[in-house]
Amino acid sequence: MADWDELSEALGDYTLTCNGNERLRKMQRDWSRNLHFVCSDNELTFSMDVDRGEILSTPSGHVGVPDIVVTTHSEIFCDMFWGDLNPVQKYLRGEITVQGSQEDVMRLDAISAVIWPDV
Amino acid sequence: MTDPSGKQEALEKFATFINPQRVRVMKAAGLDIIESRRSGPWVWDEDGTKYLDCFTSAGSFNVGRRNPRIVAAAHAAVDSLDNGNFLLCSRPKAELAERLAELTPGALSCTMFGTGGGEAIDFAIKLARGATGRPRIISTVNGYHGHTGFALSAGGRASFRDPFEPLMAEFAQVPFGDLQAVEEALDERTAAVLLEPIQGEGGIVCSPPGYLAGVRAACDRAGALLILDEIQTGLGRTGAWWACEHDGVTPDVMTTAKSLGGSLVPISATVFTEELREFLIPSPFIHLSTFGGSDLACAVALEVLAVIEDTGLVEHAAAMGELLFAGLGSIAAAHPDVITEVRGRGLMAGIQYAEDSLGPRMSYHLARQGVLAIYSGNQPAVMRLMPTLIIEQPEIEFLLGAMERAITDLKSGGGPEESAPSRPRRRPARATAG
Repeated sequence: MADWDELSEALGDYTLTCNGNERLRKMQRDWSRNLHFVCSDNELTFSMDVDRGEILSTPSGHVGVPDIVVTTHSEIFCDMFWGDLNPVQKYLRGEITVQGSQEDVMRLDAISAVIWPDV
Repeated sequence: MTDPSGKQEALEKFATFINPQRVRVMKAAGLDIIESRRSGPWVWDEDGTKYLDCFTSAGSFNVGRRNPRIVAAAHAAVDSLDNGNFLLCSRPKAELAERLAELTPGALSCTMFGTGGGEAIDFAIKLARGATGRPRIISTVNGYHGHTGFALSAGGRASFRDPFEPLMAEFAQVPFGDLQAVEEALDERTAAVLLEPIQGEGGIVCSPPGYLAGVRAACDRAGALLILDEIQTGLGRTGAWWACEHDGVTPDVMTTAKSLGGSLVPISATVFTEELREFLIPSPFIHLSTFGGSDLACAVALEVLAVIEDTGLVEHAAAMGELLFAGLGSIAAAHPDVITEVRGRGLMAGIQYAEDSLGPRMSYHLARQGVLAIYSGNQPAVMRLMPTLIIEQPEIEFLLGAMERAITDLKSGGGPEESAPSRPRRRPARATAG
């Protein structure tokens, strides 16, 4: 079970990786979403504010009205944000659930594929 | 990894020269199939795996894959014809248009050919605007009519439209099945209401009883046309030649495509009344298509219509549909936590799952059981089952058995094998303890 410090570190790395990837930023320039995350094992929650492909913030707790809600184990979140697992495989095993449009689910996987093509 | 069939090489080429994300998504869902042999209701992956095709390119293979009669007609056409000069008059075009006039209901009697469904819808909308002198088109939320200009403007899925705005002006969407919403939207500027009798991409949503007739009457009162998109529902799919026949409703314009090409050639047709054809009399070249209704494609399509008629495929689809729905109903009753509803008509079935992720996950598990089935584009919680209409009872039983086993696998927590990154883990070691 990961605590907020570990999640925060993973989110920090993910933010730097995404925002520092010019190809991704260009590809995602039409994508602005508010994401909410729920850790199913320890009830930690956090949010991600994405504006035209740029991650602006990843605060603890749920902020604003979500476009997408992602729920899974805190360990899976950490591995996912560090790029150590393929999220779509977890999704198709039912270990990650996503409430939102199918386009956004695919978009989240495409982000992972662009920044971690080796996963 | 060995690749005796060369399949991986094909996937890599697809990723490199077409789109890597499509390969990634299909691979993750267990649908990284490179179609090899195709025969009747079946298709084989290049790796040798055999699948019952229940996707059929969204209902494009009604007469079966590589139906021998269609293949023979195509060979005969190739031996003597080519695409033909699109500006010249053509015997195959004339003969196919005559057959469509005979087979479509009511006063539908004139045809414009195209190469695909989007083109057929584009022309239907052009005709509606041109013939009525009105600009407005009313379509439905979650409706699907194709990806071309007018068709996309009428589409009910924002994610397909939004990146390309501004699209065509004067398009509006109302909720499907809501007659009052159509009545309120219709006005003196409305050229046409465009509907699918059963929404396909929208998740196999049947129109409620009386809805089509009500829309027909409302259009008549407003002086607007009714365009029915029978691209997925037509040619016997629902147990009638055209789905609108179940409701006794005749549109002013009807589109057909997909299975008209018999799984071999691209062709679509927009069929309309002689009254509307008046718009085209002073402007006979106002809408042209180089390959629309090519002589080759028309020859094949004529044989498709003959096969459907000669073999009683419409009645067969109705009978097989009854078996399919009875079996799916039993499975749904046994697994209410997975399947909440089964709906559709004939051999156009929609399985409503309890939540969105079950669509992709069941595609994966069904593929493992030898069934190719893909969830709806506009409603991922709905799986479309649209097998070939030549399917027989043993294949229906195979499909139902596969569905049972797939649900068992789903409930047991199975899924794609997890791949580890080819590089060292990035997550700091101190944080890996659970």
